[in-house]
Amino acid sequence: MPTFYYLILSFALFLIGTAGVLLRRNALIALMGIELQLNGGNLAMLAFSRELGDLKGHVFAFFIIALAAAEAAVGLAILVALFRGRQTVNLDEATLMKR
Amino acid sequence: MADPTLGDQLIFWLLAGLTTFFAVFTITRKNPVTAVMSLVATFFCLSGIYASLSAHFLAAIQVLVYAGAIMVLFIFVIMILNREEVAPFSLRPLRVLGVVAVGYLLLKLITVAVGLPHGAPGVLPDDFGTVAAIGDVLFRDFLYPFESISVLLLVAIVGGVVVSRSHQKEAAAEAAAAYRQQIHQMAEHDYPGAPEAPTTPEGHH
Repeated sequence: MPTFYYLILSFALFLIGTAGVLLRRNALIALMGIELQLNGGNLAMLAFSRELGDLKGHVFAFFIIALAAAEAAVGLAILVALFRGRQTVNLDEATLMKR
Repeated sequence: MADPTLGDQLIFWLLAGLTTFFAVFTITRKNPVTAVMSLVATFFCLSGIYASLSAHFLAAIQVLVYAGAIMVLFIFVIMILNREEVAPFSLRPLRVLGVVAVGYLLLKLITVAVGLPHGAPGVLPDDFGTVAAIGDVLFRDFLYPFESISVLLLVAIVGGVVVSRSHQKEAAAEAAAAYRQQIHQMAEHDYPGAPEAPTTPEGHH
């Protein structure tokens, strides 16, 4: 399939992920939206990697996956800490640093 | 590479449709467990898409790391802090505007992407995307970034443990230790030469 179609799919994934981050108030779902965004970026990396015949895109996608693992671990730890302090995972109620 | 055959096209459209469907399903579910399961399905379909891009190694990593490790982490955290949501969606105008803005940006990017050569990409080497080929690039050109990834993961582990540890439990343990010390001092006062107080809390977990 031409690279164009893969790019469209990657844009769609990124947009869906953005909608999940911005429109959902459950912090867990927001984190899942971030994962979707990262995967959209990964797909674009791999599509261009094939288009250019260059494996560097694959290496970058590999790094992004490792980064996503670290991000998920820290993000979920912050959520657990937030839940301990406030008994909530609603992003609108996490306003401690907002004033 | 020749033009995509009918089978290639069918597989791509099937996987792309399923990926998009499950992604939308993920962010619209009220129950986080359903959302995670649907996200796992998204990642499986996406791994099929990666394989169709001849990224075999990344397809395997996608299933192992994403669908395997990261999603298990999500499931664990959901089990710890599952609560009913009062208002799952927040459709404030500014946030909707943000999504629309990103959509507009991607629409503009599509008009750029249309200008790409529309045929199938050129001939790829046979070992494109295999473990051997990626390992060659990874350990030849990207050795230092690869090693620094391990530092990043270590920092993430330490940060995760430090951030998520319970201060209440620690304070309780410290109070119990101080209490034991106090008792020991009283015993020392009344009966000089009493044995040392145990330093580790017993039966306290």
